[in-house]
Amino acid sequence: MSRTSPKGSGPVLVVEDLHVAYGRVEAVRGVSFSVDPGSLVTLVGANGAGKSSIINAISGLIRPKSGRVTFDGQDITRTPSHRLVGQGLVQVPEGRQILGTLTIEENLHLGGWHVGGASAGALTETYERFPVLGDRRHLPAGSLSGGEQQMLAIARALVARPKVLLMDEPSMGLAPKVVDEVFRVVDEIRTTGTTIVLVEQNARRALRAADHGYVLQTGEVVHSGPAEELLADPKIIEAYLGVEATR
Amino acid sequence: MLTDATLTFVALGAIFAYSFYAVLVAGQLSLGQAGFASLAAFTAASLTPRPSEVGEIPALLIAIVIGMVVGSAAAVVLGLPTMHLRGVFLAIATLAFAEAVRILILNQEWTGGAQGMSVPKVLTPGIAWAVLAVVAYWFARMGRSRYGRALEAIREDELAARAMGIDVGRHRLAAFTTAGAVAGLYGVLWAYYVRLIAPEDFGFTAAIDGLVTAVVGGSTMFVGPLLGSGFQTLIPEIQRALGVEAGWIRPFVASALLLIIILFLPGGLASLVRRRIRMPKRRMGTPEQGLQTRSHPAPGELLASLEGLSKEYGGVHAVENVDLELRSGEVVGLIGPNGAGKTTLVNMLSGLIPPTSGLATVLGTQVGRVPVHRVAKAGVSRTFQHSKLFNRLSALENVLVGGHLVSRPTFLRRLLWLPSARRDELAALDHAARCLERVGLYDLAGSRASSLSYGDQRRLEIARALASDPTLLILDEPAAGMNHVEANRLSDLISSLAADGLTILLIEHNVGMVLSTCDRIVVLNFGKVIATGTPDEIAADATVIEAYLGSAEAGTRPTDRTEGSHP
Amino acid sequence: MQQLLNGVFIGSIYALFAIGFTLVFGILDRLNLTHPAVFAVSAFVGIELVADAGLTVWVALPIVLFLGAVLGLVIERVAFRPLKNRPDAHFAGLISSIALAGMFIALLQWRYGPDTRRFPAGSFPETPIEFGGVAVTVLQVAILFISVVLMIGLTWLVARSRLGRGMRAIAENPTAAKVLGINVDRVTSVTFAISSALGGVAGALFAMNVNSAQLGMGAAIELKGLAVIIVGGMGSLPGALIGGLALGLAEVFAVQYIGSSWRDLIAFGLLFLILLVRPQGLFGARKVREV
Repeated sequence: MSRTSPKGSGPVLVVEDLHVAYGRVEAVRGVSFSVDPGSLVTLVGANGAGKSSIINAISGLIRPKSGRVTFDGQDITRTPSHRLVGQGLVQVPEGRQILGTLTIEENLHLGGWHVGGASAGALTETYERFPVLGDRRHLPAGSLSGGEQQMLAIARALVARPKVLLMDEPSMGLAPKVVDEVFRVVDEIRTTGTTIVLVEQNARRALRAADHGYVLQTGEVVHSGPAEELLADPKIIEAYLGVEATR
Repeated sequence: MLTDATLTFVALGAIFAYSFYAVLVAGQLSLGQAGFASLAAFTAASLTPRPSEVGEIPALLIAIVIGMVVGSAAAVVLGLPTMHLRGVFLAIATLAFAEAVRILILNQEWTGGAQGMSVPKVLTPGIAWAVLAVVAYWFARMGRSRYGRALEAIREDELAARAMGIDVGRHRLAAFTTAGAVAGLYGVLWAYYVRLIAPEDFGFTAAIDGLVTAVVGGSTMFVGPLLGSGFQTLIPEIQRALGVEAGWIRPFVASALLLIIILFLPGGLASLVRRRIRMPKRRMGTPEQGLQTRSHPAPGELLASLEGLSKEYGGVHAVENVDLELRSGEVVGLIGPNGAGKTTLVNMLSGLIPPTSGLATVLGTQVGRVPVHRVAKAGVSRTFQHSKLFNRLSALENVLVGGHLVSRPTFLRRLLWLPSARRDELAALDHAARCLERVGLYDLAGSRASSLSYGDQRRLEIARALASDPTLLILDEPAAGMNHVEANRLSDLISSLAADGLTILLIEHNVGMVLSTCDRIVVLNFGKVIATGTPDEIAADATVIEAYLGSAEAGTRPTDRTEGSHP
Repeated sequence: MQQLLNGVFIGSIYALFAIGFTLVFGILDRLNLTHPAVFAVSAFVGIELVADAGLTVWVALPIVLFLGAVLGLVIERVAFRPLKNRPDAHFAGLISSIALAGMFIALLQWRYGPDTRRFPAGSFPETPIEFGGVAVTVLQVAILFISVVLMIGLTWLVARSRLGRGMRAIAENPTAAKVLGINVDRVTSVTFAISSALGGVAGALFAMNVNSAQLGMGAAIELKGLAVIIVGGMGSLPGALIGGLALGLAEVFAVQYIGSSWRDLIAFGLLFLILLVRPQGLFGARKVREV
């Protein structure tokens, strides 16, 4: 269902010294990281740390002030978003951003915009994986619950057969049980070989699912390392709460 | 080249443009002025006694009075039902009104129907320009009055204006009435110059022409309409001088110029004129003279109490059953992860949105039942999560608007140049300057708000919020986007404000800052209060940490990992 | 009954014209006030094609459709795209489109002079068809037919095609559309092209219906078109259709029972009523937006 790069071909996504500013506010100050094919990398940090800005800069929704983003060896720093989806870089945006007035099936068709819509095969696969979407395929997407909308947002992104999936805070506003489901889906996607860059405020959950993690604070990477190590590191609490960890 | 007719039309055009200016300065896209002018012209022309009976000037004066009254009345008739319309909807509604008036008049007997009505010619260029001078004077004096600033604030950000205590409805209606009166004045003068008035004179084209003049001239400074009208009249003159005589060129060039202006010089010609910024002189002397400051409750008194407060959007509980008390002199922090409901809660507290259920009483007012500006009047002041400054105004002017509730109205006294008006204005300026100084922005008082650095903008919002001498100050993520140094400075400022006796409610994502600044902290998650206590208690509270970072339960990590990534 | 049919004929033209406003408002949240000028330009060009170039009316119409589309692209590029990210975009868009409209009408005056133009005699079949006690001309039937075909085509396009999905996506949430990889600029241009193409055909059909074209016809229909979309609901396609028909019928009956001089007032009466009672219109779902 997804496209993968041949093994051993080097990182599929490289971010070098990225700076993002909104007017005068520097949201991202010199962030660098790279992502190997098939891995799950997570960017965690408190709200306002710049995580979403990084994702939006990678996917072409906003223009970075400086720095470089390379995708599959090609410089995509200034490429607009509508070209990147076709190349396999797909984003599941913050807050889901599904189109409530369109039906579930139409939303899925929009996921396949670049190939003229979702193919019959893609639709079948989607409904198998997410039966709740299949049951209500002709209902407006706005009738779905928050968790179901998140599933739709993910399904929609998968229709585009992504090489790299950028997920922006998929657990936001969802109840813990639903968050479990979301992460279960994330794990499943990983088994197909899709590379995932996951941005999350819920650091522990994200690190449990990831291979590698980067902790951001006010636009900079303050910690990084294998996810297991970060999970056990009390310094994370400090990055979030700004205090010495007491536990 | 400058014939009597040209001079008169420039003056008339400017007066008509002022009727648009009167509403555009408040950001209201009302285009019904042609209708007001039409009604005024025909009514005055039919009711006024003939100049041969009472003399030319008296007749004109009577006509003007009738016209202005009719114009104002028509404006009120239009303004009241359209109170809640904005932007495009208001434009369409008012255009429709003007058209409806035209058709109405077309079908009346007493107006002469399509033939029109003949009116004796009384107006001379001298009179026209004299009237224009009076109108321009009115708007010039309005600019720096409390009323004028309030209108501009409404234009820049209506919600922020409400939060400063400005009664938007009343101000808007006043702007409409002014527009009606000036349009009525124009209609009468026009009638007593062109000898024959017909409904067509005040039709769609005239309406658009007036709008064009107002836009070309610009609505950010009182000279705008004058510049616009002069400019518009110049075109056919230049055309004539060049000997090019084709009917289509004038409208083409006028439209092209309008297009160029709106694309490249959106503020109109007036934006080329530098806006003089008043700078206050440093004065000693009692600050309270000339200001209407309020009395504050004693420390420890109950200021706000929320009982079972909830807000629901279609089944989703943004805020659920919150109980909270705020006492005078406290610094209370409100924290929680993204989407926890903090801003919704604060929006209810400050009266911006009504609760779905529960009770919220703040400073004796039941917020949620009263308009926003009443809550401000009760003594609540706030900043916003996304900067809502009055962008085209200077820092000083922003704070002056913030002081709306404590400064005295000065417009009418300004018209007469009364010294007491000047005194009150200086007091207001002083007060604003002191607020700026408090946050360390005195040196930037003359800078446009939109040109300030982000950190300075956040501080300016605080200065503006302070200007109303509030009892309760709500700060909504004031440190957003700030680095450590700036956040520390902000923390110090908040502490010093608290030391002055202000009660402060602080929403922040920078938890460290909240822990070090606040006396008491309330933690929200999924719309509910999950913890309250002192900073120490909260920092050690496991549920709080879990809310932010997620559950500490060790779950099993999927083990078949073959690749990782490297920095 | 005769009146009913007359109302339907004129109403279908109103609907066709109003759809242009609705499409652009739906996707951009802006009002394109150059649309009435396209209406007028197309009428004049249509007449010229028949009178001077000797084409039949049925050949002239597709050409006018194409011309409208081209004008739509120009309008988007010149009056709306440069304003994309400005804070005063709504107001500025109104003014820029008014300005462009003024330029178009001035150019019309340059080319055709200030007088009314008409189709040459015999341009369309005049023979009335009678049935059930009412008389309609072939022309009127043709106008209705063309309008209906175009409107059906558009409805299908918006509801079923990939382009239509993209348009609806952008109308609801431009950010989501970008995330999906939709080229928002390109789809917006196409929307303008379609909207102006329809407006152009409406202009030509209108000129055929009354056999005349004047410089002021754009202004005359502008407010009616606005009334239709306000009543029907800005951004709602069915609203424009129903609203147009409703206006056409209301006008015809008003003339019948109240008198022709009050005819134009009907539009505004309806408009005002709806704005006060239900500002989002009969079919509109959105909140009344602030500028």
